[in-house]
Amino acid sequence: MGLPLFSASDDPGPSFFHFAQSAGLTTPTSSGTALSPHATTVIAVRYDQGVVMVGDRQATGNYIASRDVRKIEPADRFTALAISGTAARGIEFIRMAQLSFEHYEKMTDTALSLEGKANYLSPIIQRNNLTSPLMVLPLLAGWDSSQQTGRIFEYDGAGGCYERLDFATIGSGTPFAENTLRLGFSTDLDRDAALTLGALALYEAGDNDPSTGGPDFVRNIYPMMVTISSEGFQELDNDDAGERFRVINERRTQSGGVAGGSLR
Amino acid sequence: MSNYFYVAPEQLIRDRAEFAQKGIARGRSIFETGVVMVAENPSASLFKISEVYDRIAFAGVGKYNEFDRLREAGIRWADGTGFTYSRGDVDARALANYYAQHLGDMFTEGQKPLEVEILVAQLGNRIRPTKLYRIAYEGTISDEPRFAVLGGDAETIKSRFAASEDSLEPLSTTLKNAVAALAGPDRTIEVSDLEVGILEDRGERRTFLRLHDDQVSELLR
Repeated sequence: MGLPLFSASDDPGPSFFHFAQSAGLTTPTSSGTALSPHATTVIAVRYDQGVVMVGDRQATGNYIASRDVRKIEPADRFTALAISGTAARGIEFIRMAQLSFEHYEKMTDTALSLEGKANYLSPIIQRNNLTSPLMVLPLLAGWDSSQQTGRIFEYDGAGGCYERLDFATIGSGTPFAENTLRLGFSTDLDRDAALTLGALALYEAGDNDPSTGGPDFVRNIYPMMVTISSEGFQELDNDDAGERFRVINERRTQSGGVAGGSLR
Repeated sequence: MSNYFYVAPEQLIRDRAEFAQKGIARGRSIFETGVVMVAENPSASLFKISEVYDRIAFAGVGKYNEFDRLREAGIRWADGTGFTYSRGDVDARALANYYAQHLGDMFTEGQKPLEVEILVAQLGNRIRPTKLYRIAYEGTISDEPRFAVLGGDAETIKSRFAASEDSLEPLSTTLKNAVAALAGPDRTIEVSDLEVGILEDRGERRTFLRLHDDQVSELLR
């Protein structure tokens, strides 16, 4: 690639996506059939000091393709991005988003607002999903420094962006995770309670959805757990996450697999 | 029909060089050591020093609109290259060469030469050395060993700085020497008129940091 100089009238501005399109770096649109939907469950829950996200680690095609995929990544220091849908497009999407936010910051010397980041992703999702069967559905959560609160944005398949004030889920395990969250959510959750609820919701999804990987005690692989707060993106270490799932699993073993009652 | 008069190529180059130098002489000088970059800049938003990539920074003097376009092109080039290959493949030398080619082309073929002088700085790591590439308005690229000075009064400032420091010093010492060399013996520069950026390993991927006025005051104390 040569030095990308533009005249003032066709300059793509601080948007990396528009520059990448003009430089031919983005994936061409395609009309093939969906090859490898990777099923998922990722959950985002707001709590009093930010957002908790929990995501399973399994990539599923006709068989389990991978057991330790990372579906939640920091998009920048105060923003997390999770993906569901086609793995290949999802990974490209995360790279594009990470680079775009940083690119904007370097070009303009100001960081994008959280709402700006959420809206920026809409046309990228739309372009991908309406021109190819390789669907991608992301989930964006971040710390909004101007409002001093954690915020969650979810998307529909056509790129529509919706803010959620309580919680959001993406992926094939959504019904099971969402039901758990509905029963367990309250507006005064603290960090620990939100992590516990998120882990339980993911446990339920892993228990019921064949394409969502629950805790893997044999291989010591546990769903990713992160918090996004004024401290930025922080990932729980594997032992911490594992312990939270072990507690749930222990309770569930004692109840003989019965999930009802006082929300075990 | 328009008339073309013969102009000797030597004359053409001389005229163009003189033109570009006049433009650049209006700019202030920028310093660079370790890697710290210091500029005298009364504006708090029209920057001369900027982040390009994880370990690469840009500095420009001369006409703001001209070097700012080069800065933007550099960021696009770096982000595009890193996106296509990997972050580790983005190398300051390649960028400096592109800048040199572009400035050289503009000098000989453009409507007018660009009235800028720019610097591409790279913080070294295990696979790449720390580098300072200075690129002049006509495309001459030089690999400066320890420090570089850009702008109108570069030679004077260069000798002042060289006299004050002959080995690598910590950031605060280097910054003090740089500011003293920029100001000269009969002048002091207000902290609010200084623009300071550093490339430094802080355990993070991105190494560029723009220092605030109070951070600069603290270091100059």
